[in-house]
Amino acid sequence: MIYDVRQTTAYTYASKVAYAHHVLRLTPIDRIGQRVQASALDIVPAPVARREGRDFFGNRLTRIDLAEPHDRMTIRMAARIVVEPVVAPPPETTPAWEEVRDEVFAATDIGATSPAHFLFASRQVSLDPEIRDYARESFAPGWPILAGATDLMRRIKQDFIYEVGATTVSTTPPMSFALRRGVCQDFAHIMIAGLRGIGLPAAYVSGYLRTVPGNDAPILHGADAMHAWVLVWCGEEAGWQGLDPTNALIAGDEHVVVAIGRDYADVAPIDGVVFASGGQRLDVSVSVTPVG
Amino acid sequence: MSHGLGLMSLACDNASDHAGEELARLLAGYRPLPGIFDEMMDPRGAPRGHWQPFLSMLAALGTEEIERRFSAADRHLRDSGVFYRVYEDPAGLERAWPLSHVPLVISAAEWEELKAGLIQRAGLLEAVASDAYGQGKLVREGRLPAALIAGNPDFLRPLVGVAPSSGAHLRFYAVDVGRAADGRWWVLGDRTQAPSGAGYALENRIALSRAMPDIYRALRVNRVAPFFQAFQAELTRLGRQDDSRVCVLTPGPMNETYFEHAYLARYLGFLLVEGQDLTVRDDGVFVRTVSGLKRAEVLLRRLDGDFSDPLELNARSRLGVPGLVQAVRDRKVVIANSLGAGLLEARGLLAFLPALAPHVLAADLAIPNVATWWLGHKEARRAMADELDTMVLASAFTEGAAEAPLREGVVGGALDPARRKRIAQAIDDRGIDYVAQEAVTLSTMPAWRHGRLEPRPFSLRLFLAKVGTGWQVMPGGFVRVADGSDARAVSLQRGASTADAWVLSEGPVADTTLLPTPERIVIKRAVGVLPSRAADNLLWVGRYIERAEATLRLVRALINRTTEADETAAPLVARISALLGAWSAGPIDIPHARAALIARAALSRGVDEGSLPHLAAAARGAAAVIRDRFSPDAWRALVRLAATVEAPLPEGPAESAISERVDQALRIVASFSGLAQENMSQLGGWRFLELGRRIERGIATCRFVRQFADDAALEVLLELADSQITYRQRYVMVAARAPVVDLVVLDPNNPRSVAYQLDKIEQHLAALHRRGVEGRLTAPQQIAAAAATALRTVEPDAIDDTLISATEHALMRLSEAIAAAYLIHNERAEPRWEALD
Repeated sequence: MIYDVRQTTAYTYASKVAYAHHVLRLTPIDRIGQRVQASALDIVPAPVARREGRDFFGNRLTRIDLAEPHDRMTIRMAARIVVEPVVAPPPETTPAWEEVRDEVFAATDIGATSPAHFLFASRQVSLDPEIRDYARESFAPGWPILAGATDLMRRIKQDFIYEVGATTVSTTPPMSFALRRGVCQDFAHIMIAGLRGIGLPAAYVSGYLRTVPGNDAPILHGADAMHAWVLVWCGEEAGWQGLDPTNALIAGDEHVVVAIGRDYADVAPIDGVVFASGGQRLDVSVSVTPVG
Repeated sequence: MSHGLGLMSLACDNASDHAGEELARLLAGYRPLPGIFDEMMDPRGAPRGHWQPFLSMLAALGTEEIERRFSAADRHLRDSGVFYRVYEDPAGLERAWPLSHVPLVISAAEWEELKAGLIQRAGLLEAVASDAYGQGKLVREGRLPAALIAGNPDFLRPLVGVAPSSGAHLRFYAVDVGRAADGRWWVLGDRTQAPSGAGYALENRIALSRAMPDIYRALRVNRVAPFFQAFQAELTRLGRQDDSRVCVLTPGPMNETYFEHAYLARYLGFLLVEGQDLTVRDDGVFVRTVSGLKRAEVLLRRLDGDFSDPLELNARSRLGVPGLVQAVRDRKVVIANSLGAGLLEARGLLAFLPALAPHVLAADLAIPNVATWWLGHKEARRAMADELDTMVLASAFTEGAAEAPLREGVVGGALDPARRKRIAQAIDDRGIDYVAQEAVTLSTMPAWRHGRLEPRPFSLRLFLAKVGTGWQVMPGGFVRVADGSDARAVSLQRGASTADAWVLSEGPVADTTLLPTPERIVIKRAVGVLPSRAADNLLWVGRYIERAEATLRLVRALINRTTEADETAAPLVARISALLGAWSAGPIDIPHARAALIARAALSRGVDEGSLPHLAAAARGAAAVIRDRFSPDAWRALVRLAATVEAPLPEGPAESAISERVDQALRIVASFSGLAQENMSQLGGWRFLELGRRIERGIATCRFVRQFADDAALEVLLELADSQITYRQRYVMVAARAPVVDLVVLDPNNPRSVAYQLDKIEQHLAALHRRGVEGRLTAPQQIAAAAATALRTVEPDAIDDTLISATEHALMRLSEAIAAAYLIHNERAEPRWEALD
């Protein structure tokens, strides 16, 4: 599939911002199964300094400084992206989860894609014993890892209610777990906390979902804004597999990846420090349109 | 073997016979713990050779003199304001510094061994850090598990691939060591994040060497000052630009070791800053000061790495400097230790360092570290499964894992069954989070308890500083002494005390002439660099203190009038009460309330924001965040003022209790003023305090004049302006309006007059760095000059309300103009998170 992706993000501030630093993680990059044909990032007001770079995990970063006093900042991202269909391995062919765990514990790769980075508690994903015990039910001894992870994903979809506004961007996994509700970020964090709790590597993906699904399929949750799902490490051979607990879907050619990290904090689309007093309002609009 | 004979060899004439008896008496009750190495006494019960000279001299003092000396040391520490803070303490209280007075004596030969071993270890740790943030070869070659690096909360990914511009991750390194029963030293842990203790060690040294100057000198104890001098020179050398300065970056006064940050900054002549004092611009890192942005090229970091930059590290940090990581990447700033160096503190590394040493250094570790097994490896997990009861279980990292944090370490066998089961399950699930360590016992050293020496377990923290390409080791250390005789664990937070370590020298020691302050080094403080935040707080301390004084004077004037049986006092009482009400110091709605009640309200913490307890607390609060700027005595005066006015007044009218309280508080205010004047640096900081006081006093006096400059109230006005004596000396007659107003408003020689305040304000402003256009007065100067001129060009009898009001408003505008000119950086950084769904 080829998609045109557009995202407009606008901050409106209660008082003039004199100076601001921001880190933007909004531009998709080429990845396995995904090619970016063109992309552009437009910022108003114009930054006094702008640097492009990569973070540790290889995601595209744009660092900007704004020195012109402003009460509104608008960021427009546009990209054309080719996404290949994903062929997930049959779950029963993946190794037993304990085997994957012991292998990763002894890993000798510290590079950006090494599963070792995705084993531990991270800023927004603490390892909660209750979530761990919930996850353990999907992993009977000796079970193939992808079978267990898929089961966990389906249980989350089934046991939790998708409800915008039930949680906020800083809700912790134990909080949304106790509420049994939340949005894509919460479901991804819960699934990650469960997998890591029993020693399995899991990563957080931010990206987009196709806005109007093909084949008259039902509209998916998370298509009108940025979406989040999970990558599970399934051993050297199968590698990382994308699972979307919000929609109980294997992430395929309707998912466009923007950034990968340990949790939301690693991939937050816009981090920033502004020098101002008072509050702010955020408006985000997203469209993901197939063009062929 | 001569050690054991020391006692007897002294017994050859009468004098030494006597000395021998004294020593025997001193050691009489001292019994080393069974199976534990004692530093002072050998297994046969005789003092070890390198302790003998110290013990003999100590014994010669006699118990009474020993106690006197030891309390002198305590007094010194108290007077210097040494404290630490306990995080777990809900009240966040500061604790007095607990000094165990007997130093640990270390022989020259043993010191050489320790030194060499620690320098070797520093080299190994530097190599590990440089590999973890560089090529990652140690992991790729299977010498370090990837999970042990990747899972380390202090492995700061944005710093991967960023080599420190100064060439070193570690510049200040502390090691905790303990001695096992076999007499060998073992490394217990490494401190690389922001090692604390060196400043406290220095204070301990000063206190002790002052209390026992004769013994200290005679023993030839190695001085620690040269170590600090070398470190200071090294950090200074790292700044490449002429205008650069070294800053100590502190998390702030709420940190448990803030005292040490402030103390070291002062001792080394560096500028103490918090994150909000710094700003990152395109071309580097700068301190916001009252004279504009000043370059900071070297930071001695006492703030945890992860908290240092909300933009690229922990976004929730309110303590960091946005953009600092980028400045490091751009090689604009040297941070000691590097951001990310905290990773070396992980206990899990102890499991691998012994095997890494031969590979990295081509030598075994000269001083072993505690035997440690990382439980991420299946084999280690299996091997340890049956040993857990005798092992210490602990987190593999400095931060604990979720279910069983084990930040401190526990002996498996000491756990209750339920907890033990949970921990076993956690290890089974995620062994990567845990280590098992051999349970170590520590050696004991003497501590003075109840008039005699008793053995106490201790650990020793030693400090290393990178100088050039090598390392210097501080000859001394920070000893933590346990309270009881359980030799297994020592933790200062749990109420242990601290001791000095004396490393004996075989040759003469340098610097002996600096007594009685042998460790004092004289270094010039950077001139004219006053962080804006500090200046802002100083200004407000000045204003609050002065407002407190004015309120106290009003209350006193009120009470004085209620004790006079004179009926003519009634209207005055009402007018004074009204002014107190207008100042939010008392009720405004009870015109006929009894004066004593109103005075009581002004002195009690009620709803009235202007009441004394509120003002004193505000002054203390503003001063607390810049404590390092005050002498311990001045700080104590503020604490005492707050405590005094917080204490409940006796019930009932009790005019005498009220006036006693007022007098007491006024005395404290006066002593604070004196102390501030005497002890504060005149380079900027003091001027802002003064400006605050002068502005507030000017405003208060204007208000007094507006209220009381009529014939019926002139006495009150003189009293409030503390000018009765001057007036009587000058006029020997009843108060008349013109001369009173002249004295209180215009007289440039009366330190209470409005004109005098403006005069002082002009002087201070002129002395501050000029930020205006060349040849023009700055905005604050213009306001002050205009107001002063208006007063200089008016006759006493022409002074009316309009002029006084205008002056009062000018003073208020002045405060704002000073903020705009010098303190404008009080913008606040708000890290933000974008919502999504």
